[in-house]
Amino acid sequence: MTFARRYLLTLLMAAGLGLSGMNAEAAVNVQCPGGPNVVCKHLGAADGWVKMADGRELYMFSFRDVTSVPDSEVVDTTLQNVQFSAPKLEFKEGDKVYLTLTNAGLVNRPDLFDPHSVHFHGFPNAASIYDGLPESAIVPMPGSSYTYFYNLVEPGTFLYHCHVEASEHMQMGMLGNLYVHPKQDGTPMGGFTKFAYNDGDGSTGFDKEYPLQLASMDGDFHDASRDVQPLPFANMLDTYSMLNGRGYPDTANPDGANFPPPPSRADQNTSSQPLSSLITAQQGQTVLLRISNLSTTTYYSLSAMGLPMKVVGTGAHILRGPGGQNLYYDTNSVTLGGGESADVLIDTTGVPAGTYYLYTTNLNYLSNHNEDFGGMMTEIVIN
Amino acid sequence: MSRLGNRLARTVMLSLCALISGVLPIGPAQAAIEGITGSTFTLTAKAGYISTGDGQSLLAYGYANGGGEMQYPGPTLIVNQGDTIRITLTNQLPAIAPDAAPNVSIVFPGQEDVSANPVGNQALTAQGNLTLEAMPNGSVRYEFVASQPGTYLYHSGTDTALQVEMGLTGALIVRPNGNPLGRAYGHNDSQFDREYLFFQTAMDLNIHRLVELGARSMVDFSTYRPTLWFFNGRNAPDDMSDDNVAWLPTQPYGSMAMMHPGEKVLLRLVGGGRNFTPFHHHGNNTWLIAKDGRLLQSGPNSGPDLAVSNFTITIAAGETYDATFEWTGKGLGFDIYGHAPGDPMAPNEDAADHGKPLPTELPDFLSVTIGGFYSGSPFIGGVEALPPGQGGLNPNGAVVFMWHSHTERELTNDDIFPGGAMSMMMIEHPDVPLP
Repeated sequence: MTFARRYLLTLLMAAGLGLSGMNAEAAVNVQCPGGPNVVCKHLGAADGWVKMADGRELYMFSFRDVTSVPDSEVVDTTLQNVQFSAPKLEFKEGDKVYLTLTNAGLVNRPDLFDPHSVHFHGFPNAASIYDGLPESAIVPMPGSSYTYFYNLVEPGTFLYHCHVEASEHMQMGMLGNLYVHPKQDGTPMGGFTKFAYNDGDGSTGFDKEYPLQLASMDGDFHDASRDVQPLPFANMLDTYSMLNGRGYPDTANPDGANFPPPPSRADQNTSSQPLSSLITAQQGQTVLLRISNLSTTTYYSLSAMGLPMKVVGTGAHILRGPGGQNLYYDTNSVTLGGGESADVLIDTTGVPAGTYYLYTTNLNYLSNHNEDFGGMMTEIVIN
Repeated sequence: MSRLGNRLARTVMLSLCALISGVLPIGPAQAAIEGITGSTFTLTAKAGYISTGDGQSLLAYGYANGGGEMQYPGPTLIVNQGDTIRITLTNQLPAIAPDAAPNVSIVFPGQEDVSANPVGNQALTAQGNLTLEAMPNGSVRYEFVASQPGTYLYHSGTDTALQVEMGLTGALIVRPNGNPLGRAYGHNDSQFDREYLFFQTAMDLNIHRLVELGARSMVDFSTYRPTLWFFNGRNAPDDMSDDNVAWLPTQPYGSMAMMHPGEKVLLRLVGGGRNFTPFHHHGNNTWLIAKDGRLLQSGPNSGPDLAVSNFTITIAAGETYDATFEWTGKGLGFDIYGHAPGDPMAPNEDAADHGKPLPTELPDFLSVTIGGFYSGSPFIGGVEALPPGQGGLNPNGAVVFMWHSHTERELTNDDIFPGGAMSMMMIEHPDVPLP
């Protein structure tokens, strides 16, 4: 190779590198235009670690809330620091939401180039471009951002999750709570000022609300992912059943951000599982449970022994017929499959003070893998 | 691309589609559910092979229409309320040495006063636990009055756990008196513009391998664990091919849904397997108007006033549901048609959002992975240039939603992702003709 040709090659390579570095789109790009009712959120997606209630650490994929984090720090803030369940998203009817997703990559799996997405599960009258379904739209590659827009015209208990390679990414943990407060909030009705839906009569009113997301993990699947092994889809068998990303007794641990990080991240002091499921209420208060299931394998039934449950909504819709016929019902249990949600009121009037248990009546799932006490259960403390 | 260019592209794509629709892997769906109509049917139980989404061949049993191919699921029987339905079943299931040829039968859950009588040589029939069975080469005629409209299933009543797993099951649709094509039930509120069947089943391929080896006695249902999930007898992506495609001769029914904005689509959901399926339909909630062939109504003529709105419908084993789906894009906060403010309105368009631009800027193609159903445009009917080899499954710019089992493990074909119980709803621009 002559000197001139070698020089030319170097020049071209430098130019190429320079061009790729100048590509403004292949970078963190938050779109937040401002304006009335505009709400902006920013989620980072990456890999990380999560601690099961038996102490076992699992490799996972999930999200982290990086709203207001400077662009230059978003990737570092997200990598190794994602959360299970994913950050809770809470909005009001009428909000115009700009949700930016930045794909920070998978630092423990540099062999993968997976895009990620946010699927706003249950969004009414949706558009493909903001549905997060990779088959029908475009989804951001590592190092890129994508901004979703949601004009929120319906209140209710929705869900969100990554829809890219859904069997894998959802089993790996990319699941979160998402709910929308109704316009009726703030208008006194039936003794309440907070409501699940625009009921017109206060019948979905509550004093306190708790999201409860049912999910489960198969440790072997997560270890296979960590170890760059073929993923066992056919043999997928979840043995960790959880509420909001924890198994009992961790579910009843009130700690949020202080909840201990998984063993390999102990020095980082950042919790992977900040959402407690401990439910507390003063006697006489009404509690709204926003229950959703995002297990990739399992139906679960939930019961609150000794406490009355009233189902007032399913599928992010008030439980009324097309003509407004009231279909609320009292029950001792609710059963949900993957992708289902229910709004359940617990009226504690006349309930003796004490600790009650909300647990899955699929009793085999009251376990943390080989520990046969734990799993999908939490405590309801009535004072 | 300019708006005019957009329209031109659509016209060109439409013409192209018309030209090549015979060879496109994803063709137009049917406005009415594919099946056989009438009141007198001749079915033959046969063995044959089905193709799975990951390319395997699996021995299956199925009901054939007359002397035709064995098929999975069996022919969808579409009948009219009040008619006397006569179904003659002939048993041509083979012996697979050392297993002898089995008996076979049909039961009709949800139908009352079903009678069963021998046809031809009575010695080739036998009374089974559930109904009269056809012995090898024997025939039985089943007869009942289709007294109530709705969605039902039928399946073998012989060695049921095995034979239904092997494929001897199908859907039965009873159309109501008076307005047989446009309504699911007698009441006007069950009106629909299009209807689609989602017949949900699963298979444990080990069972099929054992039967193929003549080792029926080794089948152990206590270890039953399916790894294949089907809509209308096909796994994704095969289920998105058209009805009656030549390369799936024993699996004639597709399950891709299509509609125009503003139409009402009836989903007929059948739990033909043995597990729960959470059927999640992206795009909008449905109204669940009927269960097991009965309208959810508070009185005889009240219409489906007890219908429930949801975004996921749990289908249990043996259950059927009817649900209605509508979509207009109302309330999105932008014009899903990509109109400029002065453009004419599209039919059923939401006036409040007319002319409003897309609220976000989309990343360039170097920053994203492009879906096969992405048309290059966020707008309905929009088609824009894509990098070579990208997109291509959505030539008319439909808004596309996945309809699938939300037990995500079931989106696989025997350990291979993607596949399983997954299909698409394509909402096409009003200018795009649908069958």
